[in-house]
Amino acid sequence: MPTILSFVALSNGQLTRASLEVLTRCRALAAEQGADLAAVVLAPNAGAAGAAAEAAQRYGAQTVYTVADPAFEHALNAPVLQALEAVIEKAQPSLVAFPSTEGVKDVLGALAVRTGGAVVADVAEFEMKDGGVEALRPVMAAKFLARTRAEAAAGTPVLVSVRSGSYVAEESPVAGTVEAVALESRRPQQTLREVVAGVAGGVDLADARVVVAAGRGVKDDAARRLVEELAEVTGAAIGASRAVVETGMFPATAQIGQTGKVVSPEVYFAVGVSGAIQHVAGMSNSRIIVAVNNNADAPIFDVATYGLVGDLYEVLPALIAEIKNSSA
Amino acid sequence: MNFCVCIKQVPDVSAPIQVRGGELVMDAGRVVLNAYDASAIEEALVLTEEHGGEVDVLLIGPERATETIRKALAMGAARGTHLVVPEEAELDSAAVSALLARHLEGKGYDVIATGKQAQDTDAGLAGSMLAERLGLPYATNAVGLAVEDDVLVVTRQGDGGQEVIALPTPCLVTCSNDMNDPRIPKLKGVMAAKKKPVETVAVDEVPAASVRVLRYEPVPQREPGETIEGEPAEQAAEVVRRLHEASVL
Ligand SMILES: Cc1cc2nc3c(=O)[nH]c(=O)nc-3n(C[C@H](O)[C@H](O)[C@H](O)COP(=O)(O)OP(=O)(O)OC[C@H]3O[C@@H](n4cnc5c(N)ncnc54)[C@H](O)[C@@H]3O)c2cc1C
Ligand SMILES: Nc1ncnc2c1ncn2[C@@H]1O[C@H](COP(=O)(O)O)[C@@H](O)[C@H]1O
Repeated sequence: MPTILSFVALSNGQLTRASLEVLTRCRALAAEQGADLAAVVLAPNAGAAGAAAEAAQRYGAQTVYTVADPAFEHALNAPVLQALEAVIEKAQPSLVAFPSTEGVKDVLGALAVRTGGAVVADVAEFEMKDGGVEALRPVMAAKFLARTRAEAAAGTPVLVSVRSGSYVAEESPVAGTVEAVALESRRPQQTLREVVAGVAGGVDLADARVVVAAGRGVKDDAARRLVEELAEVTGAAIGASRAVVETGMFPATAQIGQTGKVVSPEVYFAVGVSGAIQHVAGMSNSRIIVAVNNNADAPIFDVATYGLVGDLYEVLPALIAEIKNSSA
Repeated sequence: MNFCVCIKQVPDVSAPIQVRGGELVMDAGRVVLNAYDASAIEEALVLTEEHGGEVDVLLIGPERATETIRKALAMGAARGTHLVVPEEAELDSAAVSALLARHLEGKGYDVIATGKQAQDTDAGLAGSMLAERLGLPYATNAVGLAVEDDVLVVTRQGDGGQEVIALPTPCLVTCSNDMNDPRIPKLKGVMAAKKKPVETVAVDEVPAASVRVLRYEPVPQREPGETIEGEPAEQAAEVVRRLHEASVL
């Protein structure tokens, strides 16, 4: 029976929402194709791998390949490639799907070359059709969609990475098997010097249900504090435009857009963001967009569900007060 | 340290572009150097100015893409190579990286740099594919580079923060435009670029793409939104009410 393999990523010991979305999509494809559904998880230790495997089974993975190795404490690409190559060799999948994270982007192309397969990155939709994979992917800063068809040589997989928010994660537990795969030790070519962590303990941007994003309209500490406070009362992760990251007021890890991350929360507050296409590329998939901008002609209002024309120094305090009131 | 930067000519996304009959219709004259590749060139120039060495550029594209090589030379690159393919050639990242690898094999560069993605494909694949084909250690999404003896120190943007990685040369790095602001060529540079060597190589066999674009489509429009009028307190009350109605707060 053919196999579909879904890569699930961990963040703070939990499978990310985007991983579960991809796994759920693969479950539907497996049912449709009469294929087995397998998942692969890379974790720094056996405990974390085991917990992740259980979670993957709740979402229908019949076989979970786990690779537990301290190498996965950090994000060096060589051991990740080596592990995925080994699991693909074992599982012989026709399709391998990934959530489109920075970690995945780091290895996807190289893995395709190594496995001899074909690869499509950052898709918004994908299906298996006539022995290939057809996908819809945003191109040119998400200005257009390209409908693509990938065909891999016989016996090699098609690799697909999927934008977060493209599918809805739904549980469907199975009692499956867990297969531990060992990582052969190799002399590392790269060495990690240092990890400059992002905002510690903050809500993971890609998984957040609510995002408050700051743009260059957020000019000083007072404005930044308003953004932080709005994020606090809504339980949001903080995002940022490229222009405001350049000022040094927000970390680059928070950047949303073509260069930055793609997010798909239930609510996206765009505060002092003009709405350049390179920014919109990373947030237009949000369910509800609330824009606060003092320029009524700002392009962000073209994508906003609710547009609030006004000065953020006045509108944000009012919003914060109202949210506090309404949930008290 | 000697660098080779792989550069692409891309349509200017701020120019008017339409889809008609599944094809993109655009002004063939509105093309630019891929922004991410421009950042790669800038960083390579800064490092070679500081530590010695030269920056070459390598481009695959139709005849007219030569102007993009000239742009890189005007910025300060030493020489260019143009692998010429027919205007209608369909190249995916796999085919691009295969052609680049074929050319770069045995050339002896210390660092090969690419953009983290092409602004038109937004694929972000060719860099790591090229590294794998050449058997080089690599890092992606660099936001900072430094040279220490034979080591390239890469600061890369990861999911939750930044990682500082030491790569022994030869190696490959893919660059983010968050790394720097590329210099705008000065007249002197533009004049000098005219005399710099550009080697053109006709590609007689373009590798078959494993991923083909069947057609382009417009992005479905979002539901039209509404402007919430009033004083800040009124705007806030109205929006918060809607958000509660949608059960998202
Ligand atoms: C290849 C490439 C990739 C890029 N990638 C990204 C990316 O990933 N993410 C990204 O964000 N950008 C990206 N950009 C940059 C993008 O083109 C814009 O320059 C950027 O998004 C602008 O950020 P901004 O909206 O914060 O700033 P601006 O465009 O300066 O907008 C600031 C807004 O704040 C409003 N404002 C000012 N004061 C107030 C106030 N008191 N109250 C309310 N509103 C106020 C103004 O009316 C204005 O609309 C990229 C560009 C390129 C070329
Ligand atoms: N036609 C090309 N010629 C030279 N380099 C290219 C070409 N296409 C892509 N590249 C390089 O590969 C990178 C990634 O491209 P892509 O995989 O299409 O996102 C670009 O930033 C360039 O550095």
